[in-house]
Amino acid sequence: MKNVPAILITAALLGVAACTNVNSPNGPSVTELRPSERGFVAGLGIESQDLVTISDKMARGILGAEPIANAQGKPVVVLEPIDNDTRFPIDQDIFLTRIRVALTGNANGKIQFVAREHIDKLERERDLKTSGQVTGGEKVQGNEFKGADYILTGTFKAISSRGAAGASDYVLYTFQLINPNNTDIVWEGFHEIKKQGKDDVTYR
Amino acid sequence: MKFATASPLLCLLFTLWMTACQTPDIQPAPEYSDDLVVEGKRLIAQAPRQDKNLWRLRVGLIALKQNQPTEARALFDAAMPAAGQILQTDASTRMAQSLFSPENVKGFHGEPYERAMGWFYRGLIYWMDGEPTNARACFRTAQLMDALAEKQQYRADWVILDYLDGFISAKLDKDGSAALQRAREHAGDTDLPDYNPAANTLVVLQTGFGPVKKSGGDVGEALVYDAGHSDVAQIRITAAGQTVTTPVFDNLTLQASTRGSRAMDLILARKANVKKVGDTIGDIGTVPGVVLVDYEETRDAGLALLGVGLVGKFIGNSVEPRADTRTWNNLPQHLSFAALQLSAGEHPVTVDFLDTTGAALPDRKKSVLLTVQAGRDTVVLVADR
Repeated sequence: MKNVPAILITAALLGVAACTNVNSPNGPSVTELRPSERGFVAGLGIESQDLVTISDKMARGILGAEPIANAQGKPVVVLEPIDNDTRFPIDQDIFLTRIRVALTGNANGKIQFVAREHIDKLERERDLKTSGQVTGGEKVQGNEFKGADYILTGTFKAISSRGAAGASDYVLYTFQLINPNNTDIVWEGFHEIKKQGKDDVTYR
Repeated sequence: MKFATASPLLCLLFTLWMTACQTPDIQPAPEYSDDLVVEGKRLIAQAPRQDKNLWRLRVGLIALKQNQPTEARALFDAAMPAAGQILQTDASTRMAQSLFSPENVKGFHGEPYERAMGWFYRGLIYWMDGEPTNARACFRTAQLMDALAEKQQYRADWVILDYLDGFISAKLDKDGSAALQRAREHAGDTDLPDYNPAANTLVVLQTGFGPVKKSGGDVGEALVYDAGHSDVAQIRITAAGQTVTTPVFDNLTLQASTRGSRAMDLILARKANVKKVGDTIGDIGTVPGVVLVDYEETRDAGLALLGVGLVGKFIGNSVEPRADTRTWNNLPQHLSFAALQLSAGEHPVTVDFLDTTGAALPDRKKSVLLTVQAGRDTVVLVADR
């Protein structure tokens, strides 16, 4: 009986702690979230949860695309930077990098990506080898750099508006797998997100 | 008796002697450097929390004008929310709305023209870094900041933002004609040059002093602007045998003053009404109350009236309806832009600022040595002051 108040106080404290939402700005000062989770500083822009959702969706779409699924051997895919036509500054490589790692993880070796973005460094290394300045030149059989069977790229377009009632941003994310030999678009995927919000009245 | 008179005198003399002998408290002079960015960072550190962004923007612009883009980038990134971020309610914004706090207790994010300028400079830094698409994204966000203007004709009407949006699109082999058309519509009689997608040297120009906010209305509840000033009407750029004369694209005083009323103005007007009613009740109640208290037969009524008057005065004096007049005060009055096509290598560039008669203002002439790199744009900001 003597312990009843202590038990009640402990239960109340635990209850309060359990009710604290980590997504609340009044919650802990640093909170680790899953990248696919919407945080409390979420805005109208392109965010990590969009990146994860879209890149996973595109990776699944590419794996299911006929030219990839039924390819003889491993098609070589080169990534080309995204054409960002929105009002949001972004790292142009981050979406394609996320798609590449999702594909590399799930494709069981069906796709071969090449590091075309590092071609300057790769050429320099090859030249060092073939000139005999470093070892390994004997293994270089002419030009072994692979050409692309397909180019993966994308375009982001947006409709943005702002007024006294708030702000709204619609972003259309499209990705294409293109055959560079004939410019055929062999696969295309898209995702669209619309967000709206309102600044605090003191900033309107 | 003599001793009794002498002892206070002795005490006084002893005290004066001790005071005279006290080592003066020597305060070492603060060490100031002649680097404005370094000194600016000191001011940022000393500024109250709600004013830090304002100081970051001021110092960021100084860094950009002094060709320190890395410093400028860090300061603008710290000062400005992400492009899509919603400015959320917090303790300071709630306080700014309360009757007893002025508006300037909220964190500084500036008025739309200041936010637009923040995004404009951030875009320039992206362009300087070789990221034109991100620069274009910033110019679009900057233009969107101005979409809050009350009157339709003043919404998103910055000329330079649309012009540069279309210019970057044209340079990326995309269609920039719609943006150029919008820019020309907003430019009115000002003749904007056609795009030259082969231009690789982009000179962004700014002149004069921008507008300054001040409080207006009966009790400081209104936000009004003191106009900025620039006596420059055109700018002439000479480099490698080419001469380009460019007009003024935008006027910041116009942009600031055409914003119209803000949602916050309604809150300040309500605060001002409470203050004025409180002051009026105070005036009506206090003086007659004091008079009535003097007479026995009206003392009770006088005390009641005095009490009401004093409460009115207290409320009137406690309410804070003042508008936020913190200003990003090193912004220019005019913005302009010129594009040149130069070969790779070093080029001395001369910039003449011309008055309305077309005469060069001799004290404003600027000389810049540009290093043009092959395969990328060279972007430079030149200010007349």
